[in-house]
Amino acid sequence: MRQLGIWAERVGVGFVRSCVVAVVTMLAPAVWAVAVAWAIWWGPGNPWSWLGPFVLVCVGTLALSRPVCRLARSLVARWTGTLIVAGYREAGPVVRMSTGYWWNGFSYERSRRDAVLDQKWRVRWKDPAVWRDVRFTGIVPFAAGVVASVPPAGIVAAVLGLGRPGPDARLAGVLGLAVAIATAPYAWRLLVPVAVRFLRPSRAMAMTERVEELTAQRADTTVAQAAEIRRIERDLHDGAQARLVMLGLALATAEKLMETDPDQAKALMREARGGAAASLAELRELVKGISPPVLNERGLVDAVRALALDIPLDVAVSADAGLRLDPPIEAAVYFGVAELLTNAVKHAQASRAGISLARDDAGLIVEVEDDGRGGANVRAGGGLAGLRRRLAVFDGTLEITSPPGGPTRVRMALPCDSL
Amino acid sequence: MRLVVAEDLYLLREGMVRLIEAYGHQVVATAATGPETLEALRRWRPDVSVIDVRMPPNQSDEGLRAALAARAEMPGLPVLILSQHVEQLYARELLSDGSGGVGYLLKESVFDADQFIGALERVADGGTAMDPAVIAKLLSSSSPSRGLERLTEREHAVLALMAEGLSNQAIGRRLFLSDSAISKYTTSMFGKLGIVDDEDTNRRVRAVLAYLNKP
Repeated sequence: MRQLGIWAERVGVGFVRSCVVAVVTMLAPAVWAVAVAWAIWWGPGNPWSWLGPFVLVCVGTLALSRPVCRLARSLVARWTGTLIVAGYREAGPVVRMSTGYWWNGFSYERSRRDAVLDQKWRVRWKDPAVWRDVRFTGIVPFAAGVVASVPPAGIVAAVLGLGRPGPDARLAGVLGLAVAIATAPYAWRLLVPVAVRFLRPSRAMAMTERVEELTAQRADTTVAQAAEIRRIERDLHDGAQARLVMLGLALATAEKLMETDPDQAKALMREARGGAAASLAELRELVKGISPPVLNERGLVDAVRALALDIPLDVAVSADAGLRLDPPIEAAVYFGVAELLTNAVKHAQASRAGISLARDDAGLIVEVEDDGRGGANVRAGGGLAGLRRRLAVFDGTLEITSPPGGPTRVRMALPCDSL
Repeated sequence: MRLVVAEDLYLLREGMVRLIEAYGHQVVATAATGPETLEALRRWRPDVSVIDVRMPPNQSDEGLRAALAARAEMPGLPVLILSQHVEQLYARELLSDGSGGVGYLLKESVFDADQFIGALERVADGGTAMDPAVIAKLLSSSSPSRGLERLTEREHAVLALMAEGLSNQAIGRRLFLSDSAISKYTTSMFGKLGIVDDEDTNRRVRAVLAYLNKP
């Protein structure tokens, strides 16, 4: 009985989906059919008879391509969970120049409206995604639409056949019903492979996108690195270097005063010793900021343990033993964990936290959880945005769930084959 | 005292040897790498040794590993770790066997030569010498449930100095208090922390550190 219910549900859902696919994919053929009818109505005698229908087919297909493809993508995503990236080219900003004219990346226009319109058409015309859509709109009625039309056609046949007297008509009706029921769960499925095959951005386009992404990342990294080097230079210049100069000065003065005023010389030397200790402490902080000593000496897991000890929180660390990664990845993860723990102390007012480091088939998974008040989000220019950028260099991702009231859970995932 | 000095930087090593010999102690061997250090400790069994954490061949924590390995072979072998930076993690590892005779100081502690040599002698006697930075972190990161929040400010200061390894007299000198005042503070402190006191300096320090070390 339950089996029957499941089966009936599958048939019902399949039938509805087949009908939807049939309607969506047959929109373009409907326009073509109108054009053909128009041509026949004008007859072969009219020398212009081909022109009107031809324009109708072209314009109709072009205009329908985007909505049809949008629908197809959303249907596939909804029914099977397969995401197909649209990859339409984005129009750049339209800016007003000092001359009062508008620049849209291609041409100067007198008004903003003209500039936007011109840009829209240029972008559309050059966008390979648009031509991909047109191709799909032309192919899909034959590749998927015909099959998807079988169940509704069977129902139509059943209604027509059973409504008419005579054994032949009855037989055709029953046959139509059987075909409709048998094919309903499967008929719509052809849409998925066809959409995946023809709607996915081509290899070249995916590559172009990847190159753009990497270029942006490289720019980010270089800027961040330059800023870091400037910071280090400034810290050294204002801190340790200045202190060492003072140290030399104090020693030189003490040398001079040694005979005439030994007491003051002694005081100066004590001062010099204090200065040396202070500059060492400063250098130590600086080194820790560049590359934490425990990280170099023991690797990621112990460095995170050491970090957990230094943070005024109850931190539990669980990690795979013997987890060693390439130094740049270890550094990125270490500073990421440090940032998250700092946030937990400073912003979330947490009292305890848990860190887990583990590797699976995909790579390294780091999870940091605290019992703070939550509400963490990624703001442009904030620490979390910086962390996301740092991870992006290694194709890593950062996921944050932090409802107001807590708790905050952060998951960093880094793909690595080198493991 | 007979000492081994393990440090990979030549200038620092020679400077330390000079300082130690200026105080009338004898440096029996020096080492510049982890394996050399372990070898020297095995051969000479020094009264105390000064060891840098980071040394060749790997420029990782070779020195610390050598010290831990030597102490595993020869329990209670006094070692003083001298490092550019202090880490709680390493301090806990050194203290974990609870047998005393360990020290962990920042390199700049040699600036105050008297105190440095004092720390060396304390470690040689089986006591401890912990850098104030480590102690401060140990104290601040221990959870309030351990009774530390019930200590007064003065008691806290006494506990911190005690954890560094100082005797009652030395603590009194640092805080400008009399010996009897210090013993009054320590008695009330031990009462609050629930530690049994048996008037033995080293065991006292170890008790404090072991207490702070509890997970």
